[in-house]
This record gives sequence, structure tokens and C-alpha cells, in this order.
Amino acid sequence: MIRVAAVGDVHFSESPDLKLGDYWAQLHEQADLFLLAGDLTTHGGADQARALASQLSRVRVPVFAVLGNHDYHEDRNELICKILEDAGVTMLEGRSATIVVNDETIGVAGTQGFGGGFAGACGSAFGEPEMKAFIHHTEHLAATLEKSLSDLQSDFRVALLHYSPVKDTIAGERLEIYPFLGSYLLAEAIDRSGADLVIHGHAHHGQEKGVTARGIPVRNVAFPMLRRPYAVYDLERVHTARAEHRSDSRLVPA
Amino acid sequence: MNADYQYLVAKIQCALAEDPRVNMQDIKIMVIQNRVHLMGEVMSEDRRTAAGDVVSAVAPGIEVRNELRILDVSLPAEPEVIID
Repeated sequence: MIRVAAVGDVHFSESPDLKLGDYWAQLHEQADLFLLAGDLTTHGGADQARALASQLSRVRVPVFAVLGNHDYHEDRNELICKILEDAGVTMLEGRSATIVVNDETIGVAGTQGFGGGFAGACGSAFGEPEMKAFIHHTEHLAATLEKSLSDLQSDFRVALLHYSPVKDTIAGERLEIYPFLGSYLLAEAIDRSGADLVIHGHAHHGQEKGVTARGIPVRNVAFPMLRRPYAVYDLERVHTARAEHRSDSRLVPA
Repeated sequence: MNADYQYLVAKIQCALAEDPRVNMQDIKIMVIQNRVHLMGEVMSEDRRTAAGDVVSAVAPGIEVRNELRILDVSLPAEPEVIID
């Protein structure tokens, strides 16, 4: 079993959130790795990233992260990534990383993702250049995620995003903003490559639990929705012929 | 909601999203007569206060009812088991 802790949308300001840091300092008692699903800062300020880094330095398990839309606002996303990487965080935009936990391996493939909407009410690469660029951006990120996931040879595979791949986990948000909360293209990529769990944030007023069209569990870990310093998901394997059953992931209540 | 109120709500919403002291896109805004009500949850008292200040700056003279609450953090729940 591998225990995954995850949270998104912590929106750090220049003042470190010591209360969250206190919880994170004990996280190793419940989890083997910690995933951060974007919107790590209020508006992408370097001092905000440093405030977050100061609290992440208290975490005793490997930390993986993607950025969110807030982290891009000051156009200093590369600096934000560097500050966090210097603090030991593995940034996963367009790539993956694998770690060993006891005798099992877990790979995490990440992308921020982007918007566009969901099947039946989605944008398409049609019309003005700006509209085409919008959808092409999502298509590109979905393609990189699919490749990163497909390349993983680990026992467990997790997709880490900021934007949502499904509608289930954004239910509760206003319908008018669905196209800005995620895209079915991300779910399609995940379903093609396979995964055991999908983590995302961004939807503060959404739901925690959802599923892709092919049954892969999706979890929204936006902090304002979770109301917890992190969620914990225990990944267990019941089949020895793991690879043959990857697409048959199912959820069993604790 | 008349036209002026609609534009005022939109103006406040954009200001709350763009002001670096707040940067929040999900604060609920209601305009009732000459009052603006702010509702929802924010991360800190500083941000709650700043949200009220932003509205006062955008709409001088209007009464601001700052009903924002500070996000309450509880302990992590029991782990959820996901079986492959």
C-alpha cells in the first residue's frame, strides 16, 4: 500500500501559514508522499513562494507539485518553480517522477492543465486565433500528460493537475464558469494512458469525488473545499497481474 | 437587479480578483439598494479586511457589509482506500 496526501489551492501570501505548516510537519505519520495541486500562491509572487517553501521544508516525505493559474499571474512561474525546487519540491509540469515506497513504486505525472469545458458544452479550435490558441493549449497539455503517464512503468500511477478533467468534481460551481475550470481533453488523455488516481484542485466550491468515463477515480483537493490541511488516499493493489487490470480501478470506502 | 447594479457587481468582482491584497474570484457579491454584501470564505483576516477596502475604493460612498468568514481548518479525515 502507498499512502498519498494531497491538497491544492493553498494560496500562500507573503506571511507563511504556520497553521498549515504545523499540520504538514506531521504528514509523514499518514502518508508516503505529498502532492500539491496548484494555486500554491495568491498571485505568483516570489515572496509568496518562499513563504510556502518555508513551510514545505517541514514536510518529511517527498513533495510533488504543479502550478495553478494564480501562480502565473506575475509571469514569474519559472522563478516560483525554482524557489520550490530549491526547497526540495519536484515540479512536474509536462513530466513525471517515480519513487519507491517499501517494495512498491509510484509514479506521478503532472500538468497544470487548462480549460475548455466538457463534452456537450466545450470549446473547439475554431474561429478567432485566440480561441484556437486557447483550445490548442489544452490539447498540448493533455498530450504531454498522456505521454508522461504512458511512459510510467511504476506499480501505481497518479495524474496530478490543477484544472479538473471531469464535471463530477466541479459540481457546485456556477455552470457559467465550467469552461474555465477544466476540460474533458484531460480526462480523455488519462483514460487512454490509464492511471490509478487523478488529483486536481481549482474548484473551490466543487465536490471531492468523481470518476472519469472509464472509471478512474478523480479527487478534487482544493483546500477551501476540503477544509482539511490535506486529504489522504491509500492506494492498494488486489491483483498480482497489475498491468492487466489498470483500467479496472475501483473505489472501496474505507 | 437593474443595469447599474449588474455593472457594479461585475466591477467589484474584477477588482477583488485583480487586487493583489485579495486575488479571489469566488467571493459572492450582492448589491441591495445602496449596500454591498460580501459573502464566502477567505484564508485570513488580512484578506477579509482588504476585500472590504477594495469595495470601498471601487464604489465610494456605498455601504459595505463584509460578511466574509475565515476558512476553518479541521484535522485530516480518515484515509480513503483506493484499490487497483
